[in-house]
Amino acid sequence: MSIIELKDVSFIYGKKTPYEIKALDNVSLNIEENLITGLIGHTGSGKSTLVQLLNGLLKPSHGTVIVDGEDIWKKPKKIAKIRYKVGMVMQYPEYQLFADTVKDDIAYGPKNMGLDAEEIEKRVQKSAEFCGIDKETLSKSPFDLSGGQKRRVALAGVMAMNPKILVLDEPAAGLDPKGRREILGGIKRYREESGTTVIIVSHSMEDMAMYCDRVVVMSNSKLLLDGTCKEVFSKHQLLKENGLDVPEITNLVLKLNELGVNIPSDVYTVEDAVKAIVDLKATSNKAKEVEDVI
Amino acid sequence: MSFDVSLGQYYEAKSPIHKLDPRTKLFFVIMFMIATFVAHEVVAFAALLAIVLISIIISRVPLRVIFKGLKALVVVVIFTAALNVFWTTEGTLLWEWWIIHIYDKGLINAGILALRIVMLLTCTTLYLSYTTTPIELTDGIETALAPLKKIKLPIHEFAMLMTIALRFIPTLTDETSKIMNAQKSRGADFSSGGLIKRAKALIPIIIPLFVSSFRRADELATAMECRCYRGGDGRTRMKKLKFKVLDIFGLLFSLALLAGVILINIYVPIYSIR
Repeated sequence: MSIIELKDVSFIYGKKTPYEIKALDNVSLNIEENLITGLIGHTGSGKSTLVQLLNGLLKPSHGTVIVDGEDIWKKPKKIAKIRYKVGMVMQYPEYQLFADTVKDDIAYGPKNMGLDAEEIEKRVQKSAEFCGIDKETLSKSPFDLSGGQKRRVALAGVMAMNPKILVLDEPAAGLDPKGRREILGGIKRYREESGTTVIIVSHSMEDMAMYCDRVVVMSNSKLLLDGTCKEVFSKHQLLKENGLDVPEITNLVLKLNELGVNIPSDVYTVEDAVKAIVDLKATSNKAKEVEDVI
Repeated sequence: MSFDVSLGQYYEAKSPIHKLDPRTKLFFVIMFMIATFVAHEVVAFAALLAIVLISIIISRVPLRVIFKGLKALVVVVIFTAALNVFWTTEGTLLWEWWIIHIYDKGLINAGILALRIVMLLTCTTLYLSYTTTPIELTDGIETALAPLKKIKLPIHEFAMLMTIALRFIPTLTDETSKIMNAQKSRGADFSSGGLIKRAKALIPIIIPLFVSSFRRADELATAMECRCYRGGDGRTRMKKLKFKVLDIFGLLFSLALLAGVILINIYVPIYSIR
């Protein structure tokens, strides 16, 4: 079932000025419930604009945005309520921290929702746990933390609002490999336990292949591809024409195919590639000619 | 992108005014300012107004752009003009109600004052912001004030300060809208509640903004040091300011303008507005 529906949505920046830019051009899109959907596209393809339409930070120039069966702009004065339903973690969210302690910062969102102290406390603890923030850190000042820790605090602040849909704009940008795995792994775990619908904007094809159930590709303000990882990454030619790519490991497999190694080319993670090669080796003990190539 | 900053709006065009040396423009604007306040004869006023209009035509900055810049100041102009109307108690009484008295002299004064302000604003923004880039302007100020370095005034530092401040206005507005969006996403509400509640709602914006400004200042200082910046002493310029023939005419014209206004005041007494 689709929880978010975009119908013929366009967005224009600086309308009726010489600096008019069409950031989105007639995009129609359905986001399925309980899945992790990845949104990819090169810089300036309209990803961030699209994401900001989902929780009403921007109002579409044309078209409608339907969240949970409701047109979010039907009552413009109630737009703030939609933000409790669609939680959004912006790019580089560590720069939005402000409170005296990490705990207060995480509690900011739930407090705005008007929850009672007990419920807030419960939610703060729970989301801190998901994001790997220990009890000691909760009473520290957010400005004393490292970049990666700050990012986790910001993420916990949005998770604590218990949104039905969690939107993350480049959650792993600028982090080291360990930080990446921890953040993205935490998000995946959170999704499995809470059943939240998750949308991740990213540049990394590897992350997409590893964590997303579905991938949406944007190019030049338009929707280019939309489907499972398998469906999208099989169109490697089209992706490359649009300044994108498939995961590195897929490129390797494609190259091996070219050289005559007969393994399936729909391999998108290192694990799958290892498995495919091991399988091949098992069969190639019988067919010896392939062995030489490897 | 959601903010319209009308500071340092350079309007790219090819015109003699764009080509003038910033120092000439500064000098002209100062002369024009003095002239506007000295002028009290109708003819002098008309001449100044004509100069503003001709400047606009020569500069090729569209009227639409100039009006847009003035729009923000309408309130100030109306407010000062209104004060003048109510405070003047000279001339003939035109209208009276409760404690409000309106005299004909008051109306004329208010009109003249409004015209003065509009003329001054148009002239300064046209010469110093629409046709001069902020960098040119600070360069101009720095070279014009260079003699003051002899008495140990930190002119270069002052100019650098101005350049950096102007440069970071768009960055800051961008940053503000980003932080506002982030806090709105966390359910912040900036537009309802009483004064205190609204002021409190700004804390989650102001603190991150300050923190990132300090961080940015720090980074900028390091970056400047990495490129061996060490103040103004012995620094050479890529673009050296040079007076051209056009500038000599400009400077002479500025002096003539002030002299002309004073002479008209004395020798062409048709109708004096005091």
